[in-house]
Amino acid sequence: MKQLAKPSIGGFISKYTGYVTFVVMVIVLGILTRGGSLRLLSWQNLAIAESVRAFGALGVGMIIITRGIDLSLGQVIGLSACVSASLAQTPDYVSALYPGLDLPAIVPVIAGIGVGVLFGLFNGFLVAYGKLPPFIATLGSMTIAAGLQLIYTHASTVGSLQNEYKKIAQGFLGPVPNMVIYVAIAVLFLWVLLNHTKQGKRIYAIGGNPTAARVSGIAVKFETMKVYLMAGTLYGFAGVLLSSRLGLANALTGDMMELDAIAAATVGGVSHSGGVGKIGGIIIGVLTLGLINFGMTYLGVDSYYQLLVKGAIIISAVYLDMRRAA
Amino acid sequence: MKKLMFVFLAVLLVAGAAFAGGQQDDGKTVIGALIRNTDEQFVADYADVLKGLAEEKGVELNLQDSRGDMALQLDQLNTLLSQGVKYFVVVSNTTEATGDIAKKIQAQGGGAAFSNIQPSVEALKVGPNFYLASSPESVAGEIQADILDKYFKAHPEKLANGDPDALDAIFLYGQLGHPAQTYRTNAVKQGLIDAGYKLNVVAEDTANWKPDEAQAKMDTWLAAFSGEFDVVIANNDGMALGAVESLLTAGYVDDPNDPSKDVDGDGIVLKVPVVGVDATQVAVKSMEEKKLYATVLQDAVGQATTAFELAYMMATEGSATGKKAWGLSPLSAPIDESPANDAAVAGQCYLVPFKAVTPDNYKDFMN
Repeated sequence: MKQLAKPSIGGFISKYTGYVTFVVMVIVLGILTRGGSLRLLSWQNLAIAESVRAFGALGVGMIIITRGIDLSLGQVIGLSACVSASLAQTPDYVSALYPGLDLPAIVPVIAGIGVGVLFGLFNGFLVAYGKLPPFIATLGSMTIAAGLQLIYTHASTVGSLQNEYKKIAQGFLGPVPNMVIYVAIAVLFLWVLLNHTKQGKRIYAIGGNPTAARVSGIAVKFETMKVYLMAGTLYGFAGVLLSSRLGLANALTGDMMELDAIAAATVGGVSHSGGVGKIGGIIIGVLTLGLINFGMTYLGVDSYYQLLVKGAIIISAVYLDMRRAA
Repeated sequence: MKKLMFVFLAVLLVAGAAFAGGQQDDGKTVIGALIRNTDEQFVADYADVLKGLAEEKGVELNLQDSRGDMALQLDQLNTLLSQGVKYFVVVSNTTEATGDIAKKIQAQGGGAAFSNIQPSVEALKVGPNFYLASSPESVAGEIQADILDKYFKAHPEKLANGDPDALDAIFLYGQLGHPAQTYRTNAVKQGLIDAGYKLNVVAEDTANWKPDEAQAKMDTWLAAFSGEFDVVIANNDGMALGAVESLLTAGYVDDPNDPSKDVDGDGIVLKVPVVGVDATQVAVKSMEEKKLYATVLQDAVGQATTAFELAYMMATEGSATGKKAWGLSPLSAPIDESPANDAAVAGQCYLVPFKAVTPDNYKDFMN
């Protein structure tokens, strides 16, 4: 069914399904909670809860656009959280990983991002130059990151972080949580990159048809590597935000977050067939799943059933995605 | 594409309608329960007890399972607080997070009772309405050490395997980094050392709480270390039973011709004792068959009831300070273990006793 230039309600809904779904869900939830979910506090909570996942989903979303996948996301975020936390502990904390260490907050931030960068390079190298299937390559790096987390933290919690460091993620600018500002910056950057730069066009081209992309002169390996590197950088920063927000990190931090992020990107319309996906869609995907989590908690839905609902939504999203792609 | 929207809406409406019923009862006492992970037997039992008590008292219980994710637990707390829930029962994911949890609840003028994972001293110092209703994990490890100390005192010849001067032990750990894994392990090791044993770790690895993984690990170790270890210590009963199965299958018993016979009179048919934690019904049954040697009961009913009663008193009477919960009085003087070691908050600590389950008393724990 081809839409003509004439605007129609059906065409609008069809084009912006994700956004319309989200808005309708907000309204329905607002009614079910008798306005409770519409208050500013609820929005702040939702935004804070989903910010870290948003970084993960943006990273893996770009990778999925290139027909890849990244299972290492959760563990890399976790490792970054542990490393950054270990450099931000209060100096007088006796159980600190490095007792007495007192560094300005920028050091743990850079270290955490560094962890993400290294894993991004590693994944990108394995996939682009080593020609490993992304699923397997990142399964390997996921396991390595999980092992490093345990070794680094001695399997204990890295807690008692300095207030200055905690403010990075816990602070507010007026009514807006800092976390939201970071996500907004990342979104803006990636949106410009994907929509208004040659590199963005190359990423879509690689995902759409890698052979054609190579023939048309795109350095597919190098570009693929760059996508994994960018994703890794996002994970690194996500890890920093997570430890800053929690005021701690342990070996379970970030566990299984890859599944949430992949689900959010998928629900947000990023196609696993490659070449299709928008930054706005990914964010809507994150918010949609976040709203479902939030709504079910608010309504007191039994936690066990929450998993069923989430699973059903992911399966339907992928099913519809496949039908669209076919 | 509209189908996608339909699916979302249908799911949300069904979920909402099915559960929004409880929301309509205004004026009902509301208690929030933040539970770290019901995959674990103890926590699952704890949650079930809470649900039962809430029904009994006509309390609306909003129980949330964070599935081991501290960030999710914090989100759940924020959501419940934004709804006006003030009083909580908390099984946190980690001690280090309890301070922040308490501060958030205090900011709303509420209170909380912490179970299973100890709150920090800082968390209890946030206000008088924050309580410990728990048996610290490390005590489970200490009781394991105590049970083994008594076993080896009674049967010193059982120390002869491997290094005859040392207690040669094999350890099966839960998920690494999990608080129950860390605390139980450290405590049983320290307990054995404090009891005067030279501890020699023959082999140690995680089996992620799972019997099948434990069985596979034990199979490998039996091939490598047969005759070189005195004891198998597991962080939970599931893994202990996996090890027991492995030992039985390999014929690592007193009398391979009759594997149901306790030849040396140490109370078990296996050559070495295996100990766990939890006192699950399967484990107690295994003890009756003289396979598993001992386990430790972390009292889910006691902890959940104490915590619930504290939260209930706060919600209905404004405070629970100094009152009895589940028949327990708060501590009158500090003890050695954090957070009850700080005199300033000892009066907010309700210690639910752990129980050693041994061949002498296991019958009391059979349902």
